[in-house]
Amino acid sequence: MQEYKRTDIGKEQILPLAERMRREGRQLVMIHGFINGEGQLDISYDYAVDPAIESYHVVGETTLPSIGDIYDTAATWPERELNELFAVEFEGLDTSKRLFLPEDMLETQGKGQIMVMPLKELVEKNLGGDVK
Amino acid sequence: MSYIVPIGPYHPALEEPIHAKLYTEGEVIKDAEVFVGYNHRGIEKLATERNAIQTLVLVERVCGICSHSHAFTYAMCVETINGLEVPKRGEYIRVITAELERLHSHFLWLGIACHIIGHDSLFMHIWDERELVMDLLEKMTGNRVNYAMVTVGGARRDISDELRKEILSAGDKLKSVLDRIAEIATTDKTIALRTKGVGVLTREDALRMGAVGPHARASGVDIDVRRDAPYSSYGDFKFKVPVVDSGDVYARVLVRVLECYESIEIIRQALEMLPEGPINLGNKLPKIKEGQAVCRHEAPRGQLSHMVVGDGGFNNHRVSIHVPSYKNTPTVPHMLRGNTVADAGLIIASIDPCFSCLDR
Repeated sequence: MQEYKRTDIGKEQILPLAERMRREGRQLVMIHGFINGEGQLDISYDYAVDPAIESYHVVGETTLPSIGDIYDTAATWPERELNELFAVEFEGLDTSKRLFLPEDMLETQGKGQIMVMPLKELVEKNLGGDVK
Repeated sequence: MSYIVPIGPYHPALEEPIHAKLYTEGEVIKDAEVFVGYNHRGIEKLATERNAIQTLVLVERVCGICSHSHAFTYAMCVETINGLEVPKRGEYIRVITAELERLHSHFLWLGIACHIIGHDSLFMHIWDERELVMDLLEKMTGNRVNYAMVTVGGARRDISDELRKEILSAGDKLKSVLDRIAEIATTDKTIALRTKGVGVLTREDALRMGAVGPHARASGVDIDVRRDAPYSSYGDFKFKVPVVDSGDVYARVLVRVLECYESIEIIRQALEMLPEGPINLGNKLPKIKEGQAVCRHEAPRGQLSHMVVGDGGFNNHRVSIHVPSYKNTPTVPHMLRGNTVADAGLIIASIDPCFSCLDR
């Protein structure tokens, strides 16, 4: 068992929070994302405040500020991944290249469907309905 | 003359699928870029359609080297969401497996590093000794990789008294083997010439880019999840966290050799203090409560994190896996700058990369 503290914040608090954490020398563990039970996007900024993990959630926003200036690649890689897999855009993030998806999927920029659609629907859409 | 030199995704100097573009000026690399995503298997997506026990099997297949770490971390996530207390003996067995895994992973990397340097006799020697660890793992778990030692709520197999004594005596042998390897690695001229001052990552850069694990510790960043946030039964053991300041490939070799000693020490303590009692909470298929958890584990390559969201039924709502290479790979272009093309393969390999893990 590990300690996990959840806090809900607004999107205007993301940058000041990141600056404070960076000043205190905290590590950004990861930026996670998922679609919650109400169909809203839930993005969480997880910081290591040893021995616990402090998780700051922003729910229901589709445009967020990038914290790449503060945490460099520790933040930009997760942001690029979320941008590809979920319908979320990060202001100030360079998205001219693909991180995981093929380069020819650039037109789906910020409208990613991979993690949003249920697996069954995704298979039906891409492989035709003829899949068990 | 300036050239763009492409390396990979399939290249003799790399064991893993990564594509690196080197912008060179003569022999010297001026700038570099890395491209990942060649082995994306959609494991996170598949996990959303599976229950906890099926997911354990699935996440073990994320990585062939640190498979136990993934199962361990996923199980911890489910236990955190459900508020399960794992029996002490189960926790100890998990830790013993994790540390044996670290040993074989570090031996593997040391061997590969020697192979890339061109010191093939040491490569063969190290891989020969690695078999000792692999044999122990096979005896303990029944498998050479994908050990399947973890279940939600404990461990799946017990350690018998015979095996306990055998691992203890093997630990002493491993220590003398390590002494020999450390002696060669620190005194050999070839290794020193190829690794000292090569691929330097300064402490400031390591902190800024969020490097983790032995890679960060070789740059003087003193982090280790096992000590900073003791999970499982790591709080019960005494061990040191080796930190080296120079930040070059040589430092990464040193850190990993020193870490092997600490792993042997942890295994010895765990086996000597192995508590009596049950190893798990039974074989019932667990429900995953509504809720969310992020758990970290110090995998052989660094901090591994899993996020699990439960929906109240048997299946996961979301599983998100982020491996140490995710944090360490972005530092590669930074390290390549100013080095020669001949060292590129070694520098890329020096982070102990696992790009198949990274892609998931």
